[in-house]
Amino acid sequence: MLALIDAWLLAPFDYGFMRRAAVAGLALSLAAPPLGVFLMLRGMSLIGDAMAHAILPGVALGFVFAGFSLPMMSLGGILSGLLVALLAGSVSRLTGHREDSAMASFFLISLAAGVMLVSLAGSSVDLTHVLFGSILAVDSTALVLIAGIASLIVLVLAGIFRALVVDCLDPLFLRGQGVRGGLVHGAFLGLVVLNLTAGFQTLGTLMAVGLMMLPATAARFWSQRLEGLIAIAIVIALLASTSGLLLSYHLGLPSGPAIILLAGVAYVFSALFGRQHSLIARYRRRTAPLEPTPTSSS
Amino acid sequence: MARLQLVDLHLARGGQTVLERLSGSFQDGAITALIGANGAGKSTLIAAIMGMLTPFAGQIKCSVPKERRAWLPQQLALDLSFPMSVEELIMTGTWPSHGAFKGYCAAHYRRGREIMTRLGISHLAHRQLGELSGGQRQRALIGRTLMQEAELLLLDEPFANVDAETVDILMDTFRDMARQGATLVVVLHDMEQLAQLADDVLLLAGGQGRWVNPAALIEQHGGIAPRAPRLPFTLGELSHAGTD
Repeated sequence: MLALIDAWLLAPFDYGFMRRAAVAGLALSLAAPPLGVFLMLRGMSLIGDAMAHAILPGVALGFVFAGFSLPMMSLGGILSGLLVALLAGSVSRLTGHREDSAMASFFLISLAAGVMLVSLAGSSVDLTHVLFGSILAVDSTALVLIAGIASLIVLVLAGIFRALVVDCLDPLFLRGQGVRGGLVHGAFLGLVVLNLTAGFQTLGTLMAVGLMMLPATAARFWSQRLEGLIAIAIVIALLASTSGLLLSYHLGLPSGPAIILLAGVAYVFSALFGRQHSLIARYRRRTAPLEPTPTSSS
Repeated sequence: MARLQLVDLHLARGGQTVLERLSGSFQDGAITALIGANGAGKSTLIAAIMGMLTPFAGQIKCSVPKERRAWLPQQLALDLSFPMSVEELIMTGTWPSHGAFKGYCAAHYRRGREIMTRLGISHLAHRQLGELSGGQRQRALIGRTLMQEAELLLLDEPFANVDAETVDILMDTFRDMARQGATLVVVLHDMEQLAQLADDVLLLAGGQGRWVNPAALIEQHGGIAPRAPRLPFTLGELSHAGTD
């Protein structure tokens, strides 16, 4: 039994690339889910996808100029992501259009520009790598970068946490207190961009969104409290990234999709069997008899 | 000198003049009712006082610091699906003293408890905002302004869609706040509530404002009161209708 555990769960980490991959996955699992929870609660679940496309041209430019250098590609990604967020924000503010339509326009332009750049400069293999990542190819420079960005995200999020919560709930109150809500919103979007850039090396630009959103949407079926949502989402992300990594090692699967698919399994399971609003919870509620007095546990 | 004064104020929205030549001061430690028909400019005036709208001409002189002004808009921008409990909402009222970073201490939690008890919502402390009734939610929001120690309160129809018990509690609370020196501006449509609450009345009609004595207004109100949908019939009108 012990030998089996050792062979399945521990032995893979004798390899350096697996250890680095595991640490990168853990770092991302701590930073991404809280952002996903806030995106979900602000009704911006799809903005993550848009931002993921927005970092692509920057990554491609970094690739064109510096070859396969992660720091350069990340820097490009951060810059183009922030630029798109800024452009979308200002277009919506100047024209009065909703932010999501501006965001949709810019991310489509970015996506096309990014794919064009990569195709001009490299091969389709490079494109696949940028789009889908490769967690098993994380070297120590990449690991330092990912862990550094993840730590920064956690710290900044802790700093703007209260402002962000109040801005989500009642932006007018925050404005009345003399805080510019746009500033909080901008800082938050900046964190989303940072997180996606940290994630693209391991999961690819497209799938980095998965580790952010899926744990958050799954957590919604288990908790109604903000702290609960964040904690559960992090646990789901940690489990998904570790088990996905092990699965990909043992079964020879691509690691990114394995991790995101496991998070997807957690989502489907939660939607079916979760404590809040899941199918089962709804079914139970319908059949349960009316209680004479609601028991107050508080 | 009063905390909140209007000097020859001219407000416009989207190129249209809403109010002009509006002057006067709101009494400190008193409740001023703001009345007028729909579209008379009540909400515009409140937005201007909150600093959300720049006057076209004239001035709003307000000596209350921004963070001690509280505004309860008619259409709440509150995101009710956001997971937050009543207690947490009330604690966000500590923003003027605590800002974004400082931790809450036990004394502040105790104060939150007191406020909830006073508003009759202490049993709802851990209830999510989305699960509350309209009246309970209104009480929680007033709780936040109490926590904020607001010196200027702008309340846009605080009694709309609110049960009778809540109306009573809120009226008592508003009176207390005024007694402690706060300046309250309340948009009202209901003459009965006006009679109970208002120390002073600012009537907006046809782009102009008039300061009216509430007692006089109630006496002759059939004549000058704006015809708002929720305004009750006056006795005079009722007897008139009877003779038709």
